[in-house]
Amino acid sequence: MWRLPAVFEDERALAAAFRTAEPFAHVVIDDFVPAGDLPELLGQVDEEPLATYAAEIYAFEASAPEPRSKELLALRAAFVDVLAGPLSRITGREVSRADMRVYAYGPGHYLLPHTDHQEDVGRVLAYAYYLPSPSLPLGGELELYACELEGDVMTRADPVKAIAPVANRLVVFEVSDRSLHQVREVLEGVRLSLSGWFYP
Amino acid sequence: MVLPVSYANSALPAALVRDAVGGSRLEAVRRTIEAVPLARSRVIDRASCSSAVLEDAALAEVLAEAASAVTGRALRLASARIVRLEPGDYVLTRADRVYEDRPVEVVLDVSRAAVPGAEVHYRHRGQVFFVVPSSPGALAVVERGPTVLANHTYVSKRQAGVVLRIVALLR
Repeated sequence: MWRLPAVFEDERALAAAFRTAEPFAHVVIDDFVPAGDLPELLGQVDEEPLATYAAEIYAFEASAPEPRSKELLALRAAFVDVLAGPLSRITGREVSRADMRVYAYGPGHYLLPHTDHQEDVGRVLAYAYYLPSPSLPLGGELELYACELEGDVMTRADPVKAIAPVANRLVVFEVSDRSLHQVREVLEGVRLSLSGWFYP
Repeated sequence: MVLPVSYANSALPAALVRDAVGGSRLEAVRRTIEAVPLARSRVIDRASCSSAVLEDAALAEVLAEAASAVTGRALRLASARIVRLEPGDYVLTRADRVYEDRPVEVVLDVSRAAVPGAEVHYRHRGQVFFVVPSSPGALAVVERGPTVLANHTYVSKRQAGVVLRIVALLR
């Protein structure tokens, strides 16, 4: 179901890329699964029901926080089996479990800047894996910010990097009070992803 | 001005007066507002907008009169600010503050045209209880009880409208 690409054979190089990435530790891995595996992967998420979620900082469609279908449960379990070990070594943060939701951002959907960091929740690493879309998205980039803090209060934030939601791309970043990011509004098309967090 | 009758009867008093300011009066207010230099927020975890303190005695009197008429309270302006939102902008409740003494907040929409989806949401313990639509000339009047916070919703980049609001606090 998930097979790590060749880039994972050099974990030292990935670790260096992760640690030195700006504005905060992250890594972007393209062609994450063999192209021939994508149809099977899409089939695994096809039956997962989606609902509209809208609140102060977001509007999108997504699956429930806990998978409903046995296919997505199996996909999540396999994802953790394959990635938890390598990610622990690459990031230096020990992780052993993850959640996973299907997200579909259509026109007008967005996620405003936030850090993902919450005390006592245990989010260590955030990830997004972009699925092939039936209608290529315009917008929907993952934008990362460099921010300045005075104590717990953010005093300044500047956009540094925008990561396009390219199909079969995996993005992993470290969650902290500085991991400010947003999903830019999708203007056209649909941005499909599997996203969640890794935990100790 | 057509005054709502339900304001005082609600546990969370709030009212919207459509066309409270119109025609040449609204245009004059807009000209005044547009001449004020605005500062851009740099704290995007709370707000992405341009704003400035508003000091205009004549306008303050108009807002105080309108708010007093709606609420039945003798109100005087405590502070006022201009909030300008372009496509992609927003103001979150994290940028707001709690008031313990139940002042009244008014929002006057001085935008040139309605901007679909650009609203002010007043929340009681996080739940939206009053929505201020984008409607040039409309005046919203809300009692700021200690459980109330407000946010200005995200303005979509899928349209080109600019939102211009006066937000005033009265006691």
